[in-house]
Amino acid sequence: MAVLRRVLTRLAVGVGVLWGAATLTFLAVHLIPGDTALLILGGPDARPTAETLAQVRTDYLLDQPFTVQYGSYLGHLLQGDLGESYRLRLPVTEAIGQQIGATAALAAAAVVVALPLTFAVAILSAQRAAWIRSIVSGIEVVFAATPTFIIGFALLIVFSFTLRWFPIGGNQGPAALVLPALTLALAIFGTLSQVLRNELEDVLEQPFILTARSRGMRDLPVRIRHALRHAAMPVLTMSGFVVAALLGGSVVVETLFSRQGIGSLALASVYNKDLPVIIGIVLLSAAVYVVVNLVIDLLYTFIDPKVVTA
Amino acid sequence: MNASLIPPARNRAVVRRLTALSAVGLLTVLTGCAGTAGPAGPASAPDGGPVSGGILDVSISAEPGCLDGHGISATQQQFLGRLIYDNVVTLDENGDIAPYLAESWDVSEDGRTYTFHLRQGVTFSDGSPWNAEVLGQNFEHMRDPATKSPLAAAYIAPYVDGTVLDEYTFEAHLAYPYTPFLYTLAQSWLGMNSGKAIAESPETLCQEPIGTGPFTVADYQPGQSISYAKREGYGWAPEWLEGDGEAYLDGVEVTLVSEPVIRHQSLVSGQYDLTENLAPQNAAAVQADPGFTYENLPRTGSPYVLSFNLSRAPFDDLAVRQAFAAAVDTEAVTESLGFGTYTPIDGFLSKESKYYDPSVEGVLTHDPERADQLLDDAGWTGRDDEGFRTKDGERLTVEVPTVESSTPSPLLVQLQGEARKVGFDLRIIQLPQAQLTELRYAGDYDALAGVWHTNTTDVLFIRYHSSEITGERIGQNSSYVNDPGLDGLLSTAREADDGPEAEEAYSKAQHRLLEIVPGVPLYENPSQFAYANTVHDVTVDTSHPVPVLTYAWKAE
Repeated sequence: MAVLRRVLTRLAVGVGVLWGAATLTFLAVHLIPGDTALLILGGPDARPTAETLAQVRTDYLLDQPFTVQYGSYLGHLLQGDLGESYRLRLPVTEAIGQQIGATAALAAAAVVVALPLTFAVAILSAQRAAWIRSIVSGIEVVFAATPTFIIGFALLIVFSFTLRWFPIGGNQGPAALVLPALTLALAIFGTLSQVLRNELEDVLEQPFILTARSRGMRDLPVRIRHALRHAAMPVLTMSGFVVAALLGGSVVVETLFSRQGIGSLALASVYNKDLPVIIGIVLLSAAVYVVVNLVIDLLYTFIDPKVVTA
Repeated sequence: MNASLIPPARNRAVVRRLTALSAVGLLTVLTGCAGTAGPAGPASAPDGGPVSGGILDVSISAEPGCLDGHGISATQQQFLGRLIYDNVVTLDENGDIAPYLAESWDVSEDGRTYTFHLRQGVTFSDGSPWNAEVLGQNFEHMRDPATKSPLAAAYIAPYVDGTVLDEYTFEAHLAYPYTPFLYTLAQSWLGMNSGKAIAESPETLCQEPIGTGPFTVADYQPGQSISYAKREGYGWAPEWLEGDGEAYLDGVEVTLVSEPVIRHQSLVSGQYDLTENLAPQNAAAVQADPGFTYENLPRTGSPYVLSFNLSRAPFDDLAVRQAFAAAVDTEAVTESLGFGTYTPIDGFLSKESKYYDPSVEGVLTHDPERADQLLDDAGWTGRDDEGFRTKDGERLTVEVPTVESSTPSPLLVQLQGEARKVGFDLRIIQLPQAQLTELRYAGDYDALAGVWHTNTTDVLFIRYHSSEITGERIGQNSSYVNDPGLDGLLSTAREADDGPEAEEAYSKAQHRLLEIVPGVPLYENPSQFAYANTVHDVTVDTSHPVPVLTYAWKAE
């Protein structure tokens, strides 16, 4: 029952978050100066006729006051209708649907690389000789601090331009996924590994570790079976960071590697003030956060039963 | 700096079938790469004959988001449109109107009635026929506000209505004589859509356009790629293409690659066979590579111009405009900006345009002393503590808005430096696209940089006729030129048939623009593309100098 109530409360909060996200984005885009109708009709090269401009203003309620536009938008949203993209002239759900697979594949591949890498490096380097820790920690700081764009470019220069092991960009085939996924994964690894190792080092100081060792357990099983379980909690808490890194990073990575996906769609939409798509992507991101946080909340109960008291 | 370093604009008689051989040969002769590794022989075609089959991989720099030419104004449509569409007429190798989907046409004495005799036996890729009714449907689709046409609708603005005389004869009625009509019908944005699709599902044309062209859209992933498949049974290419029947290629795979450095690297690494846009900084590397052909062709229409806003100070004063134009060393700016690939120009019409008058050359020249003299005479005699000129305590300031980016426009930075030498304070105002568009239409700027490509000399009307000043409708006269003399010449020219009368009016108009100085002409608007020498018979047409792949083929 407690779990069910927890889930329901969380869901209610989640809906509130989504509404807030939709409203804030709508407001933000609305406040950006610039005539949306002129923007839709093609910018500097265009010579739209007066009839065409009038049609666009009517179609997208651009001639209506803010409250009417907002009310209409929210009304449609409640019915699951995200509207039509100004630029692509497609329903927003379809525009996002076309791109989501590519980003999901990229994100999944990045996580598949980042998590094992993080755990392996952290477990093997915690409480080792000072020089090992300095080197590993130094590498992590470099990855955590370097902008994704530069990591991606460095990988491109080495593995695509020079060695020609991987294609330079595009969505075709698994080979094209390697460098973009690695770029995203390295950025996540840098931060996550630091956190995990610090935790592991704290845990490895605990008396129960000494007890385990005194029973004759070898070093690696001690680290994995006893220390990791305790140290994993803060890493789990950082899932929000991981999701943010994946979504935010996808904008940069997809542009750099000429990949299809939510990131490049988001960029193109912001650039063209394609309001319906921008809100759609913000809502999608918010929904992902809500769901991830809900799942993490539930996972706590399994990893650390003390949490359920709430 | 040596002018011969610049791969020159080739004249249109040469712009025909660019076999790898002729193109490389020309480049060797004309670029004069000062003894650097000149292109060696191209990959020779096996037995010289075309080979059928294969997919051509193409990278493009931007993607329109919609593939229906009637609904967009994107530059890339010039190239993409040629793949799937045919037009009512075409421009042949000499730039003259030639038959395409219309076999012939008659123009009435008063220039207001066009009777098109259409080609028979042409079908759209959805199986529906091409006929007079479909031509009428296309005109209606272009101007239907629901199509949200930013370009095509304006091109056919004089079109009033049409009559289907019989299945293959269509009579178009114009509100006034408009000679550019046929030229605009040859442009890629005005390709013919399936009448069936226009009638049944116009909203799908953006994503699934249906034309009669040599290829069809097999798959479209907006923001990523467009897959084209050969149209089975195609056989109505225009004569200048010198080919018959279906395309040789099985298909064309177009991928969006927005980063210039990636477009270059992925071309030379063999991931793509052709790139629609090769950045100037990579031109030298590709030219030096014997495995590739580099093309640098000027687009007709308005060259790159920094347009002055004549409706407000300081550019409402002719002397200030003349001074600014004299202050800019166009050759030096162009040379550094285009890495030697841009062709400087000192008139307001591209040299490739019909009725270009070479006698305009040499009038707007770089002459800083004259610039100083003009500004002194105009009363800008004071200097403030930063060295800028002042008049009545006000600094000589020029605000130039441009689209926001991580680095300010290199062109504007260069112009800023040039203008400073004679005491102008050129301020670069970086704005988001939406805001820039609004400012542009509100006329709230001192100068704007831009180009405008079209295949008719009517571009001068579009850019400089007073009726094209943004008011009730959106126009492209961003200089706010309002000169009755010029208006008269441009109206005469667009209403006159092609011939001496139009030539004289256009020539006078070009000279009148030199007196008005609506901006500083900078350089020709280039189409710069490159492809591997395994690709043969890439052609360009005289409407848009972009690759036409109808009878291109790939040697393996």
